[in-house]
Amino acid sequence: MNTIYTSKYFAASQCDNSRRFYIDFGHKTVKFSLCQLLAFRHRLKSIDIEQHLNGENTHGLEVVSLCNREHLFVFNTLEILDLLSLVDGAFAMMEINSVIA
Amino acid sequence: MKDLVRQNLLIHVDILDLLNKQIKQEAQSSAAYLAMASWCDHNGLVYSAEFFYEQSTEEREHMMKIFHFINDNGGTTYSPEVSNINHDFASLEEIFETALDQEIAITKSIHNIIYECRNKRDLTTENFLQWYVKEQMEEEQTMRRALELFDLINTENVGLRFLDERIKEIREEANPE
Repeated sequence: MNTIYTSKYFAASQCDNSRRFYIDFGHKTVKFSLCQLLAFRHRLKSIDIEQHLNGENTHGLEVVSLCNREHLFVFNTLEILDLLSLVDGAFAMMEINSVIA
Repeated sequence: MKDLVRQNLLIHVDILDLLNKQIKQEAQSSAAYLAMASWCDHNGLVYSAEFFYEQSTEEREHMMKIFHFINDNGGTTYSPEVSNINHDFASLEEIFETALDQEIAITKSIHNIIYECRNKRDLTTENFLQWYVKEQMEEEQTMRRALELFDLINTENVGLRFLDERIKEIREEANPE
């Protein structure tokens, strides 16, 4: 297992043998295909973070289902921001890896 | 470490985002043309209505072409949400002007994606999008030809009906094959 990127709360890694990605959410590690990872990235980027910061999203929570509803997570504002940095960091690292691979 | 992204995906991830945005723009454009067709139909401009029904279908085909390109090459597509479609127009001339503006916006968007493809060295997508460059040139020509008719023909009374009848010939002139 190769660690791709670690943010404050979460970590992304990949397994070359199974050709799958893993995200360690702290209490649980979830396996992703690339399509599932892209869908997760899209879901995160679709979140209107402004609403969290200007008070429109009063509870400050987001419910996110992963991998064809196999997993259901509730994230707070800080976790969403951290996940955004995780996916951006992970894809940036994978791009660098692509250049040197 | 294996390059798993490249193993699964031929398109650069940033370009994938832009293509998904383009899908949305094509869907929006298709819906906008449908609204224009409806307005023409309600105002007895049957040839213009037919023209915009065809335009709407064409835009959807453009959208589907990108949709399949992404899915065929390992990417993920998102069915677009379409909202805020304008159904109010003051005249047929305004409709064609709006249509030309819409086509110019799509052309700019396609060109921007190609510039990004070059930055990211995504030659496959750039090659795929070349078809759209030519297509957009033809789309803009068609709309300009339609607007030129308004300079030539007085649209008062029977003139508007006469102009409407000429609309069906515009596409044939722009796409002779």
